[in-house]
Amino acid sequence: MPDTLSLSQSQPQQHAFNPYTENGGTILAIAGADFSVIAGDTRQSEGYNIQTRYAPKVFRLTDKAVLAVNGFAADGNMFVKKVRQRLEWYRHAHAKDMPIRAIARLIQTMLYSRRFFPYYVYNILGGIEEDGTGAVYSFDPVGSYEREACRAAGAAQSLVQPFLDNQIYFKNQTPAPGTSFPRHLPLSTVLSLVIDSFTSATERHIEVGDGLEIYVVLAKNSPSIQGLRDVRGVSELTSTDDGERVFVVRRELKKD
Amino acid sequence: MSIMQYNGGSVIAMVGKDCVAIASDLRLGSQALGISSNFQRVFPITDRIYLGLPGLATDVTTLRERFRLRVNMYTIKEEREIEPEAFAHLVSSTLYEHRFGPYFIEPVIAGLSKTPTGGIKPFIAATDLIGCINFAKDFVVAGTASAKLFGVAEGLWEPDMEAEDLFETISQTLLNAVDRDAFSGWGAVVHVITKDKVITRKLKARMD
Repeated sequence: MPDTLSLSQSQPQQHAFNPYTENGGTILAIAGADFSVIAGDTRQSEGYNIQTRYAPKVFRLTDKAVLAVNGFAADGNMFVKKVRQRLEWYRHAHAKDMPIRAIARLIQTMLYSRRFFPYYVYNILGGIEEDGTGAVYSFDPVGSYEREACRAAGAAQSLVQPFLDNQIYFKNQTPAPGTSFPRHLPLSTVLSLVIDSFTSATERHIEVGDGLEIYVVLAKNSPSIQGLRDVRGVSELTSTDDGERVFVVRRELKKD
Repeated sequence: MSIMQYNGGSVIAMVGKDCVAIASDLRLGSQALGISSNFQRVFPITDRIYLGLPGLATDVTTLRERFRLRVNMYTIKEEREIEPEAFAHLVSSTLYEHRFGPYFIEPVIAGLSKTPTGGIKPFIAATDLIGCINFAKDFVVAGTASAKLFGVAEGLWEPDMEAEDLFETISQTLLNAVDRDAFSGWGAVVHVITKDKVITRKLKARMD
């Protein structure tokens, strides 16, 4: 015993604190001609433990912008809180909501300002552009961003993204002679693809499951509202019908 | 980087209605460097059994010869062709013999087995590198693009597809999966095994 005692006294013990955790889950967004769909599962896990079966990763920022955050949940929640604060300041200064391309640039500067102690979060921003088109912006944790038609991120990104390449961009497919592929898909098709993507990811990835939240942002007077009305589990989040409108579709996913 | 990813490459097998398909990319690499765009890793074992060997390229060659020997020995001793189920267990026990110094290969088996009534039954299986068998009813995947293959296959596959539909499904699954994998791609080959013939096609794929 004296040996171990002297050893523990002579050898200094170092303890490292790791400020980051990976909380699993997957997010996904697809842009249409006059709408945008932003979805995420609601499972939050740490290693093999499920912390909760309902922790939202998708947040309405304004009536025309929805943000999905994935990675380290604590950083994600804090980041959304800070973005919302900046958007409120913008409203007080300019008496209007910030346009989505400006929100995208804001998010870049907010992420890059933490270049050497980053928010450990992958962001996907979806919504309606000022010209009324559907938009999706995707970010890396330090603020590199790009506007695209579709993006998956998170634990099951590697499962979902190639499926989307095939079904949204029609990669490795050739159109029938004399025809061409559509540049934007109708809302009903997009919703089916989102649900299929998450049920597939749930089937094969342990960190995905429990619940699914699909946000739909419609441009002003979008005809896509027909058909969204009778989707199972849909509810509207906007109070006015004279601007962009935000809906959420909630579904169950397998819990095993 | 793991030895399983050193040469790259992926294989997938799927079940259809009275048919099976097995497909693979054609890349041989040395880490990020591409070496060959015509590296075969799917081999016929009998007229009705095909074997895919994704993993370390040197072990692809070794195991192919090893299985050729053991299948020949089986055919001579039993005086009949080996059935896919028996072959799967042959693969499994061959790999498990090297439990503590394994071949770095995750084999994929696709074949048609005979039923007692004289019919045929589709058979697919995959094992890990020490021979633990996965008898799946739908599809099996292996190789560096396995996560991507799982995702696309889970979205595209449906039960009881005819041979032409199965060919399209497995081809789309493989191509879109390997296009998102840096270590797989550079061409692809598909084999569809039906009752009376095997259809082998090379796919026109992205070569970047």
